[in-house]
Amino acid sequence: MGLRWYHFALWAAFIAFMALLPELVSKGTLRTIIFANFLAVFAISWDVLSGRTGYISFGHPFLIGIGAYTSAILTKRYGFEIEVAIPIAVLMTMLGGLIVLLPALRIKGSYFALVTLAFMELMYQLVQVIRPDLTGGTRGMSGIPTLTRGALNGYYLSVTLMLCVAISMWLLMKTRVGTALSAIGMNEESVRGSGLSVTKLKMFAFLTAAAVAGLGGAFYVHYLGSVAPRALFDINFLFTIIVAALIGGSSTIIGPVIGAFFLTFLLEGLRPYLPGAERYFIYGGIALLLYMYQPKGLIEIFTQGWTRLRSRWTT
Amino acid sequence: MLQILIQGLLLSGLYSLIAMGFMLIFSVGRVLNLAYGTYLMFGGYVYFYVSQMLGMPKLVGVAMAGVMGVLMGIAKFKLLVKPLKGDHVAVEISTLILAVVLQAGVVLIFGDSSKILLPIVPGVTYIAGASVTYNILSATIASYAILAILYLFVRKTHTGRAMMAVSMDPKGTAISGIDSDRINMITWGISGLLGAVAGVFFASYTQLSPHMWVAPLILSVAVVIVGGIGSIVGTLVVAHIIGFMEVIVVAWFAPELRGVFTMLLIITVLIIRPRGLFGREEL
Repeated sequence: MGLRWYHFALWAAFIAFMALLPELVSKGTLRTIIFANFLAVFAISWDVLSGRTGYISFGHPFLIGIGAYTSAILTKRYGFEIEVAIPIAVLMTMLGGLIVLLPALRIKGSYFALVTLAFMELMYQLVQVIRPDLTGGTRGMSGIPTLTRGALNGYYLSVTLMLCVAISMWLLMKTRVGTALSAIGMNEESVRGSGLSVTKLKMFAFLTAAAVAGLGGAFYVHYLGSVAPRALFDINFLFTIIVAALIGGSSTIIGPVIGAFFLTFLLEGLRPYLPGAERYFIYGGIALLLYMYQPKGLIEIFTQGWTRLRSRWTT
Repeated sequence: MLQILIQGLLLSGLYSLIAMGFMLIFSVGRVLNLAYGTYLMFGGYVYFYVSQMLGMPKLVGVAMAGVMGVLMGIAKFKLLVKPLKGDHVAVEISTLILAVVLQAGVVLIFGDSSKILLPIVPGVTYIAGASVTYNILSATIASYAILAILYLFVRKTHTGRAMMAVSMDPKGTAISGIDSDRINMITWGISGLLGAVAGVFFASYTQLSPHMWVAPLILSVAVVIVGGIGSIVGTLVVAHIIGFMEVIVVAWFAPELRGVFTMLLIITVLIIRPRGLFGREEL
C-alpha cells in the first residue's frame, strides 16, 4: 500500500495540532475553522469523484443538498433522533449518487459536467415546489435540532468529522481500488483493457463521494440549524467547493484540506477591507491567478519549492 | 391559445439568440464557456450605464454593449483559453471562477440591488387581445434578424464556412491552410457580441441584477445539450421547444414549475440520445 512511517507521523502531528488549536486562537477564529472543516469535507468528496476519475461534477451541491434536506426533514418534521437521521441521510445521498452515475455510464467530458449542472438546478427548482410543507419552500427551514452548542464543541465535532473523512479516504486511495480510480482519470480505455470493470469502479467512486457528501451535508445542517435552497443549490457554493479542491491540489487528500483552509481564511481576511459581496472580486481573482499559474494546486507549489530547497542543500 | 402562440414566439426568439452564442463556442472551440452568462450581464450593464446614466441615445447603448461583448470575448480567448491550451477541464473551471469574479466586479461598481431598465422602445400594442409591449416585440424581431444574419454569415462567407469546418474537423482545416486560432478568436468575438446584445434584451425583459447571469447560462446549457453540437437549426428548434414549453407550463400548470420541465428534458435527452436531437455523432 506504500505506507511509510512518516505518513503516520505527519497525520499524528496534524491531529495533535488541530486538537491543540483551541488553546491558541480566539472563539471567532474557531468559528471560521469550523466552516473550513466542513468545506474540506465537501472538497474531499468532490475530489474522490472528480479529481480522481476525471468526471467533473458540477452538481455536488445536489448530493450535499440531499443529505442536508433528508436529515433536516427527518429530525424536524418527523421527530427522528439525529443519530438515526444522519445514517438515513447518508443512504439517501448514496441513492442520489446512483442517479448521478446513470449519465456517467454513457457520456463523458463536458457533457457530463453539463448534466450534473442540470441536476443541481432541477433540485433547486423541485425543492421549492414539491411539498413545501416538508421542505419549507423558498425560505427553507430553521430551528433544526443541533448536535452541539458553543464554538468549542462545534469545533471538536467538525475537526473529528474532517479528520475521520480525510484519513479514511486517504487509506482508501492507497489501496488498489484507489489506484484504479486514478487510472480511470488518466485513460479509461486502458483500465477496461486491463480487465477491470470500469462500471463497478465508477459506481464505487460515485457511492463513496456521495456518502461523504451526505455525511458532510447532514452534519453541516445540524451545525447550522437551518437550511435554505438558495444557499445550498448555488453556483457560488459549487464554485467554492471546486476551487477549494483544485487550489489545494486535486488527486490528493491533504490538498483539498489546505485549499479549504486557504479559501476560508482568505475570505475572512478580506472582511475588514471589503465588507460586502465585493470581496469575492479579490477572492476569485486570487483563485483564478493561482489556478492559471499552477493548475495542480498549492501542494504542487510547495513540493516544487521543497525539492528546490533540498537540491540547494545537497549541492 | 393564440396568446400562448404569441407569448411563446416572443420568448423563443430571445432564447434562440441567448443560446446561439454559447453553442458557437461549444461547437467551434470545443470548450464550455461557463462565463457565457456574464456577457449578458455585462451587455445589460453597459447599456444601462451608457443610455441611462450617461443619457446617450439608446442605439449607442446597444452598440457599445455589442462592442464591449466582442472585446470581452476576444480577451477571454487571449487570456484564458490560449494560455490553457484548450485543456477542457481547466477552461471550464477558470471560466466558472471568472464568472464569479465578474459578478463581484459588477457588485463593486453598480451595487448589489437590481436595476430596472427603461424599455428600449416604449409603448404597448394589442395582438389578438394580448397586450404586447413594443419593447419585447422589437427585441424579438431584432433577435430573429440577428440570427438570420448569422446564418447567412456562417453559410455564405469564407470565414463563416471556416468556422463550421473547424468545428467539424480541426486537423483537416489546419491542413487546408486555415488558421484555427484566428477562427477561434473570431468565434469568441461573435459569441461575445451575441451574448451582450441578447443581454440588453434580456435585461429589458426582466431586470438588471448581478445574479442575472445564471439563468441564461442554464438555458444555454439546456439548448445545447438537447439540440446537439454544431447545428444552428437544431439550436433554433430547441430554443423554440423550450420557450413554448415554459409558456405552456406557466399558462396551464404552475409558474413555479417552469424550470423543472426544462431540466427533465435535458436529463432525458442526455440519457437516451447523448449527442442531442440534431447533433453530429461524436462521443
